[in-house]
Amino acid sequence: MTEKYQLHRGAYELLKGAEDPTMKNIAQWLGGVLSAVDEGKPVVYNQFTFWCDTMVPMGLQPLAPELWGLLPGAATSFPALDAAHDLGIPSEMCWAGRYVIGATLLDQLPPPSMMALPSYPCDNCKAAYQVIAELTGAPLYLVDCPYWVEDDEESMDYWVNQYKGLISFMEEHSGKKLDYDRLKEVAEESNRYIEYWLEGKELMRLKPLPQNGPWGSPAEILTTFGSPSATAAIKARLDALKARVANGETAVPEEKVRVVWNYLPVLWSPALFNWMAEMGAVIALAIYDWTSFEPIDTSTPESTIRGMAKRALHGYMARQGRGSSDIIIEDTLNAFEEYQADCIIVNGAFGCKWLRGSYGYLSDLCRERGIPVMMFDADIGDSRVVSDEEVKARVGEFLETVMERKKGGA
Amino acid sequence: MTALEELTKLADTLTNPYIERWKEKGGKVIGYYCCYCPEEIIHAAGMLPYRMRATGSTSSELGDVYASSTTCTFCRHCLDQAMRGEYKFLDGLTTLHGCDHISRTFDAWRYGKVPTPYSPFYLRLLDIPFKIEALSLEWMRVQVDRFKRSLEEHFQVKITDEALRQSIKTYNEKRRLLKSLYELRKKEAPPITGAEALGIVIASTSMPVEEFNEQLKKMLDEVNGRDGFSDYSARLLLAGGELDDRAYIELIEELGGLVVTDALCVGLRQFWDLVDEDSEPIAALAKRYLERSISCPRMVDYQRRLKFISDLAKEFKVDGIIVQRLKMCDNWGCDSALIQRRSRKEGTPCLILEREYLMSAVGQMRTRVQAFLETIGR
Ligand code: SF4
Ligand code: SF4
Repeated sequence: MTEKYQLHRGAYELLKGAEDPTMKNIAQWLGGVLSAVDEGKPVVYNQFTFWCDTMVPMGLQPLAPELWGLLPGAATSFPALDAAHDLGIPSEMCWAGRYVIGATLLDQLPPPSMMALPSYPCDNCKAAYQVIAELTGAPLYLVDCPYWVEDDEESMDYWVNQYKGLISFMEEHSGKKLDYDRLKEVAEESNRYIEYWLEGKELMRLKPLPQNGPWGSPAEILTTFGSPSATAAIKARLDALKARVANGETAVPEEKVRVVWNYLPVLWSPALFNWMAEMGAVIALAIYDWTSFEPIDTSTPESTIRGMAKRALHGYMARQGRGSSDIIIEDTLNAFEEYQADCIIVNGAFGCKWLRGSYGYLSDLCRERGIPVMMFDADIGDSRVVSDEEVKARVGEFLETVMERKKGGA
Repeated sequence: MTALEELTKLADTLTNPYIERWKEKGGKVIGYYCCYCPEEIIHAAGMLPYRMRATGSTSSELGDVYASSTTCTFCRHCLDQAMRGEYKFLDGLTTLHGCDHISRTFDAWRYGKVPTPYSPFYLRLLDIPFKIEALSLEWMRVQVDRFKRSLEEHFQVKITDEALRQSIKTYNEKRRLLKSLYELRKKEAPPITGAEALGIVIASTSMPVEEFNEQLKKMLDEVNGRDGFSDYSARLLLAGGELDDRAYIELIEELGGLVVTDALCVGLRQFWDLVDEDSEPIAALAKRYLERSISCPRMVDYQRRLKFISDLAKEFKVDGIIVQRLKMCDNWGCDSALIQRRSRKEGTPCLILEREYLMSAVGQMRTRVQAFLETIGR
């Protein structure tokens, strides 16, 4: 019998000896998933906006299925997307949900023992994970987030109780008990990680930009967050960034346009930002960076869980996808000011109805303030919907207009 | 005019003489989206709850300025009507984050993109949980209570427990009557069509409940004497989200199918469960609205939902299920696939039809329904 998950096993073999701490960390996660599969240990799906800091202290293996799908390259997801389509899943749905459903049908994903799903950021995820639950029979815990949480303490209490509910759910389905000393350790380690993250985020305000963005990354927070290897990965990246600043290195020889990238990068086109850089356009920040975190107070188990729950609300897409359009609009406009940007580009992911639904209001405000803004159409993971050429044509044309405008002193 | 005609014609216009009379008497009307809005709270405040629809809309051009091309056309047409001032009879609007589409189009009202008769206009988003459990039930109770308080505060009215209990009784009566209407549809020769039933449920959301109850009683007497429809080729269950256009069901029924029951938003989902009349009213409302036996796909509750639909299909002895889904709707996109998968497993044929809010691609729909009916017909 051929072994399952060949692509991922191959990637693990390739990465496991890596020196680079970021790669090493990915290898650690991949190795963890593969050995959990091989040894029959529980695997917990954490949807790709839900951090793994509750799973790590319980010794449970997190697996963000969407990240699994992207690792060998988005193009490898085409058969899964086709399988989802054959089940009757509409193609207007986000790549993320379609991939996970299709990969489940094709047995390309290690099956979950249980799933943790936040109610943010979108309908796609809640809808898709219910299909996965039906297909796999795995228990699903919805971590239900109020719409305007933090307006009041009652909303926050509800959210914190959801976290506690999740812990009980994982205990029940894994037979493991959460050790609060371990939780404290993980929370403290994650505090160190966040400190480095925020430090790097500050450096990205420098003009000219020392390194092309985005600075933040979902890689560790979804896989190994709160473990020393995750912290080592971000620390190494921060050290490299600091060295660039110290040496006066910049992202491009001449920074012509500074972009606030409103949303995720185009996941199937990792080269797009390099292509933009060749034009002199740099990414000051993307959605991974629009976040502010407070350190978790680890003095008691209660304060630790509360701190984790509160922090999760400010993660990428959790923050913007859990309430009205106000949040994403405010975040975008603040980023524009704080990072002294020249324009805003919105990756108008087709499946992402909440994002696209706020664009009209954002563009009204940008027009009032004279901020150049543009949304282009794309699918976040499926290059067959709108091609690389089409995206580049649209982005390139916009950047040229912004450059012209700058030259004209407008 | 028969009571049936009187009621069903209300589905064909946005407003109607009942609403006009209500407004002439100085009454207030509060619009709401989705079955999770407790109508009793509005009613107990002395106001008329009105379920939002975009009947009569012919284009979504204005709405499209803010609603993107990937927003479902129901929301786009509603927003368009709103921006054109077609809902000027409303004194307030409430919604919930039923889906990303509704939440984002509701923002247009919040941002002042919609003309309103006064300012600040009453706008309220109900923070309805996405799951059913003890914690979320308590959160729902808080939400229902906050909704009540916000109406009281904005309109300077008092919603007493006594008024709430009375409203619960009146709405329960409406539900019982509608249920008895649906009971008749279990017959071998149901006395009403699916298109008529849809019209009646729409009427129940577009006029004062007391008058509706009276009309419905008359109508039940009328249809009880009818011969019933027996010349159909298949009994159907029609499932799906927003559908407020009788012509859509008429087309299916012209082709020989008879819709004998449904799992629609403006259908069975609107009225099926009663509110407990003996409990504390806010808690009772929270329980009924959150724990309804047939939830909406926004809820992470697929197991109960699938079971309900499969039991319903048996109860009404249907030959097949049609699921209509609006394009771009992720909730129904996935749920329809699940319903189809489950019903096929159970041996009930199931057809998924995609649609836009305004009827379009009628030829294609006709062909698909015809082919479906041919394969399942008696
Ligand atoms: S990209 Fe948008 S639609 Fe897709 S999963 Fe993320 S939030 Fe949802
Ligand atoms: S049909 Fe779907 S997208 Fe449209 S309002 Fe209903 S749930 Fe939302």
